[in-house]
Amino acid sequence: MNRLFSTSAALLAVALTAASVIAQDDADAPAVDFARDVKPLLARRCFACHGPETGEGGLRLTSRAEALAELDSGMLAIVPGDPDESELLARVSSDDEFMRMPPEGEPLTPEEIQTLRRWIAEGADWKQHWAWLPRQPQTPPAVQRDDWVANPIDAFILAKLEAAELEPASDAQRRTLIRRAYYDLTGLPPTRQQVEQFVGDDAPDAWSRLVDKLLESPHYGERWARHWLDVVRYAETNSFERDGAKPNAWKYRDYVIRSLNADKPYDQFVREQLAGDELDNVTRDSIIATGYYRIGIWDDEPADPTQSRADEQDDIVSTTSQAFLGLTVGCARCHDHKIDPIPQADYYGLVAFFADVTSYAERGDQQTNNQWSFGDPEELQRRKKLQRREARISREKTSMEEVGIRRMEAADQRRSETAERQTLLEEKLAAFLNPSELELYEETVRRLQAVHDEIAGLPPLESALALAKCEPHPEPTHVMERGNPHVPGEVVEPHFPQLFEAPAPTIAAAPAEARSAGRRRVLAEWIASPDNLLTARVIVNRVWQHHFGRGIVRSPNNFGEMGDPPTHPELLDWLAQWLVDHQWRLKPLHRLIMTSHAYRMSSAGSERGLAIDPDNDLFWRFNMRRLSAEEVRDSLLAASQTLNRDVYGPSFYPKLSEEVLATQSNPGSGWGESAPEDRARRSVYIHVKRSLLDPLLTAFDLPDVDLSCEARFVTTQPQQSMALLNGAFAIEQASRLADEILAMEAVSPAEQVAASVQLALARDATPEEVDSGVKLINTLQTKHNLSPEQALAQWCGVVLNLNEFLYLD
Amino acid sequence: MSSNVTHAESFCRRTRREFLWEIGGGFGGAALAGMLAADGAFASDNPLAARPSPRPARAKSVIFLFMYGGPSHVDTFDYKPAMVGMDGKTVDVKTHGRGGHRNQGRIVEPRWKFRQYGECGKWVSDLFPHLGKCVDDIAFLHSMTAESPIHGSAMLMMNSGKLQSGYPALGSWVNYGLGSVNENLPGFVVMLDESGGPISGAKNWASGYMPATFAGTVFRPEGSPINDLALPQGVSRELRRDVLDSLRELNESHLALRPDQADLQSRISAYELGFRMQQHAPEAVDISDETEETLNLYGVNQPETEAFGRRCLLARRLVERGVRFVQVYSGGAHNDANWDAHGDLEANHNLHAKETDQPIAALLTDLKRRGMLDETLVVWGGEFGRQPTAEYAVGTGRDHNSYGFTMWAAGGGMKGGVSVGSTDEIGSAAADQPMHVKRLHATILHQLGLDPNGLSYLYRGLDQKLVGVEHVEPIHEVIA
Repeated sequence: MNRLFSTSAALLAVALTAASVIAQDDADAPAVDFARDVKPLLARRCFACHGPETGEGGLRLTSRAEALAELDSGMLAIVPGDPDESELLARVSSDDEFMRMPPEGEPLTPEEIQTLRRWIAEGADWKQHWAWLPRQPQTPPAVQRDDWVANPIDAFILAKLEAAELEPASDAQRRTLIRRAYYDLTGLPPTRQQVEQFVGDDAPDAWSRLVDKLLESPHYGERWARHWLDVVRYAETNSFERDGAKPNAWKYRDYVIRSLNADKPYDQFVREQLAGDELDNVTRDSIIATGYYRIGIWDDEPADPTQSRADEQDDIVSTTSQAFLGLTVGCARCHDHKIDPIPQADYYGLVAFFADVTSYAERGDQQTNNQWSFGDPEELQRRKKLQRREARISREKTSMEEVGIRRMEAADQRRSETAERQTLLEEKLAAFLNPSELELYEETVRRLQAVHDEIAGLPPLESALALAKCEPHPEPTHVMERGNPHVPGEVVEPHFPQLFEAPAPTIAAAPAEARSAGRRRVLAEWIASPDNLLTARVIVNRVWQHHFGRGIVRSPNNFGEMGDPPTHPELLDWLAQWLVDHQWRLKPLHRLIMTSHAYRMSSAGSERGLAIDPDNDLFWRFNMRRLSAEEVRDSLLAASQTLNRDVYGPSFYPKLSEEVLATQSNPGSGWGESAPEDRARRSVYIHVKRSLLDPLLTAFDLPDVDLSCEARFVTTQPQQSMALLNGAFAIEQASRLADEILAMEAVSPAEQVAASVQLALARDATPEEVDSGVKLINTLQTKHNLSPEQALAQWCGVVLNLNEFLYLD
Repeated sequence: MSSNVTHAESFCRRTRREFLWEIGGGFGGAALAGMLAADGAFASDNPLAARPSPRPARAKSVIFLFMYGGPSHVDTFDYKPAMVGMDGKTVDVKTHGRGGHRNQGRIVEPRWKFRQYGECGKWVSDLFPHLGKCVDDIAFLHSMTAESPIHGSAMLMMNSGKLQSGYPALGSWVNYGLGSVNENLPGFVVMLDESGGPISGAKNWASGYMPATFAGTVFRPEGSPINDLALPQGVSRELRRDVLDSLRELNESHLALRPDQADLQSRISAYELGFRMQQHAPEAVDISDETEETLNLYGVNQPETEAFGRRCLLARRLVERGVRFVQVYSGGAHNDANWDAHGDLEANHNLHAKETDQPIAALLTDLKRRGMLDETLVVWGGEFGRQPTAEYAVGTGRDHNSYGFTMWAAGGGMKGGVSVGSTDEIGSAAADQPMHVKRLHATILHQLGLDPNGLSYLYRGLDQKLVGVEHVEPIHEVIA
């Protein structure tokens, strides 16, 4: 393991647990774990020929019974307890190239062979994957150092540390802790005053009061919404050629922020997003929640509409199963999942639950399916009637225009399909219509204008991006052969994946006048049930992930057999139960986690810890982390004292350079101009245009917004330093910070340096920093002829580029 | 380090190695890792350093000349003598374009004469008199097919193998598979047309589910080529040096208390790398050291060919400097600013062929005389071709055609002077040996020494591949 990536690797997922590392070196190793050690190996190296669909030579390694069955040759691949009689072992360890398995690729490594040998010797147990087993009641384990245990979380952590003879890191300093807490809960830095107040607060409950205060901050929702928005691939445009805007998408974003700030129970949060239009108590909020279905990509001009529709459904099934259930069912779109027990029929069983979800829109009508209008039903009715009339007249008008256009030159016909259409019509249409046609056309234009005016005169209407139109009586859902939507196979009913062993859903037939099919409600209730195998585990894991830098399961979207096994399975189950027992509310869970001793550890390394568990699988220390893309930008604004902390509302457009806009086919299209005070808002309010992401954010690993992102990458690359040293935004913040200092009348360079550190890092400057800063400011003035103000701005740039500014201990 | 990309048969899997990959640092990271290794800062098995190709490689770099908008194959390289004299004739032919499905159309006879070139006697239209002289180095693929005749999805298909956005571009895959050899330049460079980006903009060179560091970097052909690379106004290199020294000193004090935190160290180094890039990247686009003869060859001194000629010349300079994948766009923005000849076919193609013919021929010639063509794979084509029939009742405009079109490849281990596959006699659809876009992708990876059916990246529980889950063969007929 090289050093460069150790931290990032620890922050992300690395499959090996320290326990398994130790196991290989230890003669008294614990038993081989089938799910963790053996099945992935079989899947990777053997399933191509001996998997669910193949079974060559009579060997099918898909269940214990099948694996133990007699082969075509009459031999036995696996004889439990007797590795030497097991043909499988003989074949994988054979030196004879014609005998050796697998026939292609590298032979198994000696370690892999040893694993198989031990597994067979130990009885060839075929244990169920941990995540497919129900949660077990967990009791915090006994530990030697009781005094370290602040709450039950610590018992689970410490027990493993003690077993590995690892010391937990010492407590983090208060200055470290407050910064950690502010960023974790609000994504913003504390001010110097807030730091000093906390550092000086000797009351025993100072920490828990701080945590409570931050949980009450409206900025909590902003920070945590961003995590959820990653998972549900939130964006405000459709991608593809036009990448058109989704009106009112920001209301869904605000819904997420508000839900978190209100500490809405997570089960309700689930129900609202999946079936907010079908609940017993449909509210404005629950309607906006169904914007969940409308934030994905949408091809307004599909080459193959059937394929495109299937892709849209796949997007919803894949996102939903990953986000809420930690399941990657995508493999089963084309064939039975080769590793996880997800047959193809289960994938389409999920598709069937969403059968009433209409496509995002139609090219000619980009509103009806996705814009939900709130207001008096009679008013809405009147408006709809007018809109229908408007659409009809508009179609008449267009068809008359086409008559004329078809008589024009090809170049003009082409122009008629571009933004120049109106100009063309004004210039030439009259000449290509005969007098009676022209008269009729002009009459139609007048009628259209009249209905326009009438609509414009209606009282304003509030709309939201939502599941505005459903198909209450959808066509049957078919399994699609090889995933090809043009080759429908057998019909499937909506059903839960078999691995859950859940009773079949009962779904009442939708009444004739129903607006939706009622299937999503059933799915939502099942997912949001306390008994669901995965839901509670998945959400507590996400919460843990964003406090500790990685989940207990390091693949938060994949709890399946190819995901990473939990490093602390008992803790995961205990937390899941705890959440369910506490009404699915996340704020108490944050409080519990943050008041644990484990959370308050220092991130300092220890020799033994680094040697035994460099990836920090056992949580012997806290994981240092770099600020996220949004935190970087927000912290720059906070440091320059210009952050606009207004909460909620429509998105804003940050200023993008001409070079960046020039990557568009129509530079500046779909990008607006926002007022300076709006541009100083938090990053969560940036308009998310799929084809035009802010390069400052992408440099700091803002993920692609088209697919669910479970955990962001943490890269270190020169584009980051260039953005912070040369980018217009960072330079602006540095000079604003300088202006702020100049306004404070800090006259001497030493005072200026001290002030810059106080404002940007919320602490007093060290003598070394003051020296360094003064020296630089002097050099810049004497050697490079900068004015005192310019020199200070350069120094402020240095402060905003410090590792301390960008990393949290 | 290449073991993770060489398994021909593999299932959804995740190894520690791969994960290191996934958090990789792209061109910065690769360079950085190499630099630290040179400093003895860490062990030799660096996951991001340039890697030898897992299989014998014929090409080290790719230059993809993207004719955005879709050039007409029957008017360029797909000679259709049968169409001569058919102009205006209505024929039964199934087409699918922007205007939907049609069963009949009015033939637009190719508007340019064809003549034979080279030892192979290849028929090339008068749109490409310069390129005609290079045919003995070119392998023509006449039976390409794509899944979409609509720009948005077709661009994505040509660039990433998928009809939807969110997936890594070909250039991202190449850099993922091979790493970067030049620490001062990105491994995947995109040069756009002066008229603007293609539709969907940055989606065409995005890295999808891979780290953003594998995404294409847009390179401007003059001045400071990369976004945020240039020093701000009033900041000299000497001044910046003093600022960086001050920053490093403070960051090193911070690091001293956290000696095991490698990220902090790499971030310190990233500033130095950025500083060097500020010097080297502009150097790559500074063509003042090219001879007059070379500039003339590329047409840099003529107004029509100046812009594209410069991009082609820069493509060579970038490849020379170790950039793995360069994509050069001919055409941008909308309508006739690119090859999308819906209205006046003649005006459109005369314009864009004029802009590109001499520069492309120059690129091939220049690469060859420098001994670089053998290891540089040059690919030419658009996201689809065009229909044999007219789009409108009058005029010469042609609609899109993904049923059959021509692309070509030269250098990088391709045969020269060969043509593979064919369309029907009016070029409406691939007839002999239809070749899906994925086969072109497979060929490109194969020439780079990567196994197209093995190069995979675990995402969403599935080993994702550029060519998809089904096995895809490279086009062996054109591989030397």
